[in-house]
Amino acid sequence: MATNENSLVALSDAMAEAVEKVGAATVTVDARRRFPASGILYSNDLVLTADHVVEREEDIQIFLPAGGEATASIAGRDPGSDLALLRLSRSASQTAEMSQVDPRVGQLVLAVARPTAEGIQASLGIISAIGGPIRTGRGVRLERYISTDAVPYPGFSGGPLIDASGRVIGMNTSGLTRGASIAIPVSQVRLAVESLLQHGKIRRGYLGVRSQPVELPVNGMEALGRAQTSGLLIVGIEPDGPASASGLMVGDILVGIDGDPISDHDELLSRLSGSLVGAQTQVEILRGGKPVSVPVTVGERS
Amino acid sequence: MELLTNLAHAFQEVGEKVQSSLVVVQGHRHGAGAGMIWRKDGMILTNAHVVNHRSPLVYLSDGRKYTARVLAHEPEIDMALLKIEADDLPAMSCAKKGSVKVGQFVFAVGHPWGQKGYITKGIVSALTSAQTRNSDRQLPIIRTDAALAPGNSGGPLVNAAGEAIGINTMIVGGDQGVAISVEVADEFVRRALEKAGVSEKTV
Repeated sequence: MATNENSLVALSDAMAEAVEKVGAATVTVDARRRFPASGILYSNDLVLTADHVVEREEDIQIFLPAGGEATASIAGRDPGSDLALLRLSRSASQTAEMSQVDPRVGQLVLAVARPTAEGIQASLGIISAIGGPIRTGRGVRLERYISTDAVPYPGFSGGPLIDASGRVIGMNTSGLTRGASIAIPVSQVRLAVESLLQHGKIRRGYLGVRSQPVELPVNGMEALGRAQTSGLLIVGIEPDGPASASGLMVGDILVGIDGDPISDHDELLSRLSGSLVGAQTQVEILRGGKPVSVPVTVGERS
Repeated sequence: MELLTNLAHAFQEVGEKVQSSLVVVQGHRHGAGAGMIWRKDGMILTNAHVVNHRSPLVYLSDGRKYTARVLAHEPEIDMALLKIEADDLPAMSCAKKGSVKVGQFVFAVGHPWGQKGYITKGIVSALTSAQTRNSDRQLPIIRTDAALAPGNSGGPLVNAAGEAIGINTMIVGGDQGVAISVEVADEFVRRALEKAGVSEKTV
């Protein structure tokens, strides 16, 4: 009996320690009129937080875990993925330790926050699901997200979701999915941060076409010579857009871009990012049942 | 797998231990609240708002029923101390002062919506203070994500070792569960016993 009680006490203390550990790298982000939110010390002078809690560009105050405060400026932000990177006016001593392991459904997790100067706060749950890709309410494709039953209290957005060892597995936010809180996995955060630091935003490409998914005609499939059953039928072309300039026409069926097959909108959205933005690439279409390669300069979505 | 089984048994054991110190307090014609055995000689701690009657009824977990005397009643901190004529009762043990930390496991025991001896689990979400009704006084409170409902009032919030860290209460609102720190109860009981001229027995 004593062993069982000891293991529960040990678990309980371990959770409090994990909270304390990440707490040393969890800050208060005061960048809006109503109650402040939380942020994660990503590096000595960079705070990761949720874009939707940053409602002003001036007078952003960060309250540090050890006490004391610093002002911050926006280093980069992306409303589409609800991520923002703030640069501190002075260095912080502690940074958050990120998990190097993939999250798993069923793992014990803690959502940690510091919405007030009163101290760290936490909420317990498990990883209920690892989902994605989904299209967010902001029209952006979210590759992966973590769903948990840890209760998201006010001010928890921008704070870390940690595993039992106190390492960060994601950033909590309630701004992306209506009425629910999810965590953006560290793997996604890392990719976004690269772009945010380089360009101050995340560059998203666009072609300027209206399209709908269709099943490929039999002769088209044969002509393509690969096992692809669907593509995107172009039903409208934006005047003065990249597609219009390239000679793509209504009736063409998009089946590939930059050497990769495309079967639906999500795949297209996913490919139109990163290095392809602003670059010239080959768009593969079926025109009259025959495969044609059209060079297109991918535009950048503003 | 074994770790998880051990933990599951630990949950069970803490639950059973705490339930034996839990009582039902019927201080109103309608509805009852929770309370805990504070001392083995029949001192019962509960919320002030649970007790309206001069002689509330107290039911122990083994079914025994007593008519209690109200020794002290402080609505300002929502606490009341009752006395029943019984002895050798399983009293609640209290956590050491300063041992409560954010992130620790907690269990709330009470009678939410009339379900007797109901246990919910959660963690300490925050350690903060709140202003009580009708006064400027700030009380140290524990916020938890353990589900609390009407009927939990007066019952204990316990840690992983089954020691009381707070008294569940509904006097502070919000969607978070709130418990008044057990240190407030300690002080309240001491004051009440001094006033009643009952000296603390050294056990």
